[in-house]
Amino acid sequence: MSEEVKIIEKKEIPSGAVMIFGFPDVGLVGVIAASHLISELNDLEEVAYMESKLLPPLIVLHEGLPHSPIRIFGNREILLAVSETAIPADALYAIMYALIDWGKKKNVKMMISLSGIPVQNRQDIEELKVFAAASSPEILKMLQDKGIEILREGYMVGPQAIMLQKCAQLGLPALTLLAQCFLNYPDPEAAAEILKQLTNIAGIKVDVSKLLEKGEEIRLRARDIMRRTQQELTKMKKTQEYDIPLYVS
Amino acid sequence: MSERRRRSIFDIIDEYFESLEEWAERFTERFMDRPSWNQRTCTIEPLRDIMVTPTEVIVTVDLPYTEESTIKVKPIDNRTIEVSAKMRRKIHFDELGITHCKGEFEKLHCQTRIPVPVYMDKMEVRFKKGILEVHLPRKHEYHIPIE
Repeated sequence: MSEEVKIIEKKEIPSGAVMIFGFPDVGLVGVIAASHLISELNDLEEVAYMESKLLPPLIVLHEGLPHSPIRIFGNREILLAVSETAIPADALYAIMYALIDWGKKKNVKMMISLSGIPVQNRQDIEELKVFAAASSPEILKMLQDKGIEILREGYMVGPQAIMLQKCAQLGLPALTLLAQCFLNYPDPEAAAEILKQLTNIAGIKVDVSKLLEKGEEIRLRARDIMRRTQQELTKMKKTQEYDIPLYVS
Repeated sequence: MSERRRRSIFDIIDEYFESLEEWAERFTERFMDRPSWNQRTCTIEPLRDIMVTPTEVIVTVDLPYTEESTIKVKPIDNRTIEVSAKMRRKIHFDELGITHCKGEFEKLHCQTRIPVPVYMDKMEVRFKKGILEVHLPRKHEYHIPIE
């Protein structure tokens, strides 16, 4: 693990779990979905947290006590990495590499990143599609067998891009789920769609009705993290995802 | 004697844009990094976005908890619009995790500067899924003929 990023374990970490990432990105899809998973699955508890000087000098207070903004929640089946702050673009590689290396040491059986894919006419879309990309042809086939549309061509920017590339290199099964969403606004409906597909793929059952009911409240609460995420996405040149790719084969 | 490498025009342009980006970043950090809510006026600043197309400027504003009939969009001058809307219910500060001061929010409010000239009097507005969309036709003040 890099000296710049440390993962401190608070509890015994189960072996062979599915590791899920809910990090700030377009529409805050991953963060909203992860937050809902934590509130719905009663047995998820904080098992580890990240310490890094690459992050701003920031703690998150819960009930007056300090917590790291990047924490890992877990039970016997899941390890869920979630960030409560926008991750600085410059720190993203080191943070993702540290988490992936840590997950590999814990023998995770699969890594799943939850995120979004922005669409310009989002307001007019009633049924949101969820796309996927994977680290290997075998995982792609599994996704297709489950009826999930594959994101065949294009650019991917952000935590999920680093995760897929690193996992492909290490031979770790990994996939990213991307729900159609708003680019710059928190999108609880997209988070609900991604959780439905998480049930389909990993069998993690979660009721999304409360998430949809609380949609407006979530949009109000998530404004500040969305605003700061926008600033980091600009630095990452996130709009490259709209670019038409030129493949040299 | 050290040999000075001649910089190409592309190097100069790259450096110019890099310095411009750095300046924009410093400007954003200096002036935009402020609370998104105002205790005195009991208002929350909504998220917003601007898109410039060849024919119009589209401003979108995320207005959760908004009563559609209370939304007001008005031009402040020929380049700025102001959006305000009353919330369906008052939101106590502590509901949003603001526990160090007392109060409640009852309004969303923001001002947005339009980056290119537009016809303010031809503004069209729609509200769908809690997102306000303001369409402003662009004013093309110059026409340069191609010979």
